[in-house]
Amino acid sequence: MLFVLCVNFFLFRIVDTDPLANMFRGRNVPREVIENLRTSFGLDKPIGTQFVYYLRETFSLNLGISYRSRQPVWDEIVSRVPATLALVGSSAVFAGVFGTLGGIVAGWRRNTWKDHSITSSSMILYSVPEFWLGMLLLLVFSVVLGWTPIGGMVTAGSDAQGLARLADYLQHLFLPGLTLGLAYLGEYVLVTRSSLLEVMNEDYLTVARAKGLRDARVRQHHALPNALLPVVTLAAINVGYVLSGAIAVEAVFSWPGLGEATANAVQGPDFPMLQGLFLVFSASVIFFNLVADVLYAYLDPRVETL
Amino acid sequence: MRRIGLLIAVGLLAVALAPVASAQDDDKVVLRVGNEQDWETLNPTWGYLVAEWEVWNQQYEGLTTLDENLDTAPALAESWEGSDDGLTWTYTLRDDLMWSDGEPLTSEDVVWTIQTATEQEWENYVYFTQYLTAEAIDEKTVQITSSIPSPQLPDMGFIILPKHIWEPLGDAEGVGAYEALDGVGSGPYVLAPDGFRDQQSVTMVANPNWWGWEGREPGVDEIVFRHFGNADAMVAALEAGEIDAAHSIPASAVEGLEDHPDLEVVIGYQGTIEEIAVNGGLAENQPHPALLDIEVRKAMAYAIDSEAMIADLWYGHAIERDTFNPSADAKWTPEIPEESRFTYDLDRANQILDDAGYLDTDGDGVREMPDGTNPIAIRHLVNTNDSLAGQVGELFSGWMDAIGIDVELVTMDSDQLGAAIAIGDYDTFYWGWTPGVDPDGMVSSFITDEIGGWNDANWADPRFDELYAQQIEELDEDDRVEMIHEMMTLFHDAAVYIAVNETPEIQAYRADAFEGWTRQPAETGPIMYNASGPSYALLAVAGEGGGSDSGSTNWALIAGIGAAVVVAGVAVGLRQRRTADERE
Amino acid sequence: MTDLARRRRKDILERMWSQFRSSPQGMLGLAILALFVAIALAAPLLADAGSLDPVTARGRGYPQWAPPGEFPLLGTDNLRRPVWAQFVWGSRISLAVGLAATVLTVVIGATIGIIAGFVGGRVEAVLMKLTEWFLVIPFLPLAIVLASILGRSVWNIIFVIGVTSWPWTARLVRSQVLTVKQRLFVDRARSLGASGPRLVSTHILPNISGLIVANATLSVPISILTETTLSFLGLGSAGAASWGKTLEDAFVNGAITRGAWWYFVPAGIGIMTVVLAFTLIGRTLEEIADPRLGGR
Repeated sequence: MLFVLCVNFFLFRIVDTDPLANMFRGRNVPREVIENLRTSFGLDKPIGTQFVYYLRETFSLNLGISYRSRQPVWDEIVSRVPATLALVGSSAVFAGVFGTLGGIVAGWRRNTWKDHSITSSSMILYSVPEFWLGMLLLLVFSVVLGWTPIGGMVTAGSDAQGLARLADYLQHLFLPGLTLGLAYLGEYVLVTRSSLLEVMNEDYLTVARAKGLRDARVRQHHALPNALLPVVTLAAINVGYVLSGAIAVEAVFSWPGLGEATANAVQGPDFPMLQGLFLVFSASVIFFNLVADVLYAYLDPRVETL
Repeated sequence: MRRIGLLIAVGLLAVALAPVASAQDDDKVVLRVGNEQDWETLNPTWGYLVAEWEVWNQQYEGLTTLDENLDTAPALAESWEGSDDGLTWTYTLRDDLMWSDGEPLTSEDVVWTIQTATEQEWENYVYFTQYLTAEAIDEKTVQITSSIPSPQLPDMGFIILPKHIWEPLGDAEGVGAYEALDGVGSGPYVLAPDGFRDQQSVTMVANPNWWGWEGREPGVDEIVFRHFGNADAMVAALEAGEIDAAHSIPASAVEGLEDHPDLEVVIGYQGTIEEIAVNGGLAENQPHPALLDIEVRKAMAYAIDSEAMIADLWYGHAIERDTFNPSADAKWTPEIPEESRFTYDLDRANQILDDAGYLDTDGDGVREMPDGTNPIAIRHLVNTNDSLAGQVGELFSGWMDAIGIDVELVTMDSDQLGAAIAIGDYDTFYWGWTPGVDPDGMVSSFITDEIGGWNDANWADPRFDELYAQQIEELDEDDRVEMIHEMMTLFHDAAVYIAVNETPEIQAYRADAFEGWTRQPAETGPIMYNASGPSYALLAVAGEGGGSDSGSTNWALIAGIGAAVVVAGVAVGLRQRRTADERE
Repeated sequence: MTDLARRRRKDILERMWSQFRSSPQGMLGLAILALFVAIALAAPLLADAGSLDPVTARGRGYPQWAPPGEFPLLGTDNLRRPVWAQFVWGSRISLAVGLAATVLTVVIGATIGIIAGFVGGRVEAVLMKLTEWFLVIPFLPLAIVLASILGRSVWNIIFVIGVTSWPWTARLVRSQVLTVKQRLFVDRARSLGASGPRLVSTHILPNISGLIVANATLSVPISILTETTLSFLGLGSAGAASWGKTLEDAFVNGAITRGAWWYFVPAGIGIMTVVLAFTLIGRTLEEIADPRLGGR
């Protein structure tokens, strides 16, 4: 994490613009005021001191002021977290559940037409740029069929309460959720399938089958639990990737989350916002990696001995 | 549909986290307006975005306002009288004026606003108030004296602020930092409590204390201005009836909307222009040296096909102009004689460059300076807040290519673009202006003193400055028009604004929802986001009467009760930066 | 010695090729790739680059927003440019950027991996710690941030992808180098007095080159998809019309709401099939280089 902070700090020092010049663009600010601010930001200090300042500010959640909205970056990020959580959460669950099911079917029925069709469609989904898939779905469902709204999170100016509001929200969530879900489905299928194949080659399964156990029983009680182990860790690690994938997808659907904020900040470029977002993305990926490690240790007794 | 179950589970969580709208009663009439700009601040002393002015135009009034023909009309002041020298004016306020919180609105508020604006140098006031001194004769009489014989008098369009709210804020810093969410105003609609919660919408409620209702019930109880991040979504929301009206609709959507049975499309003009500007070289940083040669700039101007821009980018809904409009009123824009107009002619453009000695000596398709060095490669800045800017950039680069000038497109948002322009760190860019009513604001942008400020051409001319100083005190309108025309001709001939088009405000409303929309300027202007935003207070639910479709009857009504609504920055001669999140 | 090494390398290549030929998925990938390489190389024959300039397209009287039925082959866009020409010329840029970025990735990754694996000790610890750190940083956000800072250009995109995606290669190469090194010590090659660089070029590189190639092939899709995403977000070069740029233009100019599917469907299919091709080839190569993966 400290590394992320370092990268974040030095990366943005490359930017050859005066942060203060950007803050006041166009407005007449007396020179003394600028000098005072420069001192309070520590911009007159050597780089090492600046780094200490930066760490101090970051740990007190002061990520600076967005050029674009002039709101504190931290506040803006916090206000966008729920939207991204809902989107990434729903699509990760969708991809995880259906991807695993698909992978099990493909792995168990290896080399049948089912396997081939599932595996090849997974390969295709895996190859598609997420946002392009979103554009296609938007075209079909919203423009041609008119079934789903064209973007945003709730109907503009809607006063709906309770269930009606929820329904409205879900209508808006449906397409972006489906897009991200489909885009990451393929990976789950492929990982589940190959993990299942690996497990099935192992000795104890052959033993189980030799003992005369029925296929379905072997699958449920022996193969699956072991095969799903890597899938669970993949799920945790994958949250980070889904989060990245959400950047362009949120932009396509105007979904007001962290991804859309990134796409907007790029346009500026709004460096304080990018810096803050990068920090949050990195922190959450690190967090989910930790979760993956813990899960793995918890689920796989063999790891404990390490 | 197992997945719906999943979605619901996640959705429930998100809804629980999302802020819940306050309860609302059902019989309230709500007007929902979509636009693409968002709001940076609601503080009227320094904000400058069009979306912000639209809010202030409802919440606050000045002593005077503008009518449909953009002439001065009574607002807070019922009448006024000038002294013989034209320098001192006495304004009489209406009887029993009240702020929306019930406090009386008196001459004290007027005097405080003018004096404090000058003392604290409020950006949106000081241009005008710096010449004024105000004195309260009694509760409803104010005497205002101008130190110069300004042709803008007796117009007093700037917003009068409630002293009891603003005085406690203290010094300039306190006023500048104020978020202005108090919702205390004198106009027909004021900010609702908690009406500006997230950057997404502004909710305003009818002000029962507004004098202009005069016993009438407001046709609209509440206005919700809603920000859309994406024009397509806004157009879709309008078609679906999720909003009642929309501003800044892309020209490409007009055709589709006109076919919709319940929608009326309004293509309004109020002097807004968009231009490709060339760096005139007077700022801190220099452009490519070739651009300092007026012959090169002229050649560039000849190489741009404005007709193509109008046809392909505006779908025919824009008008070719020779130079910017100094005012929403067309009389201030001069006719440029045919022989000095820059009409599209690539051969002529190439000829000019050949004659001036800019030749492609090394045969790579790019011309060099006359001494054979330094190929003419320029940086064109593209505003990412304006979706047309990217397309303009591609066309511009094509035309420049045809005359041997190499263009690199550099993208940035409007804020950074503004900063780059101020220090002259560019060769060309595409942007626009919406002028005020008095030409002073626009032409003042191009005087020498404004370099690094509003002067985005980084060009100046001593004759232009001289004429500027004369016209500001010229009381004879014909003479002043002549001076402004001469200034504008000078500006045109310098070829720093090449490819100027007058661009429309494209708006649309649900004819099945409300009626009584009013254009300003009459007949040709937009129905919203115009000089004084008169529409909203005149609206009625469609089919219930109380308003009519054409503007004229409404304006008769207004004139009758003297009820022109509110003020605009425009009236003060301010110009609004066409900060076109508008057309993102 | 060099002769021997060359012959060994040739043997390895021949064996790989014969194994590759027997894999249907690998051959399918190769066929698709060959098709697109052909399109990219033959671009000047297939479509006129001049029509990519909106002024030229207008001058020729091409229509605006024409569907494929009205303007062959794939219709025109908002600035009257033929979509077919954009597709053909876009393939060049997308492929070139993808390949160049991958080369950079592999060069950085392999160098770090080999040095770490071969030198060992403190150098290895430092390099691997660095690799680990980079692995943790989310790749796309880092690329976005870097590209925003550096500005829009093709070279910046290549650079950004290269410097953000090397850690995977580095880790893989290092583990392979370690394995090979084990075997080398058995061979006593080192005790015969061969120098470090020589050892690397004659013993280590030939042994791990198969895996490096497989890894490189699998990195190309990531490079291409990253280029696409960066371009879509407006970070690509404004001048170079890659497939990602076409998608950005289509989105920004409202092709979706207009129903102008022809504007963005071809580029997307192009990206998808090229990525698929590289993935198929890469997986096949991986199976050949690391037989333990066989049959999956």
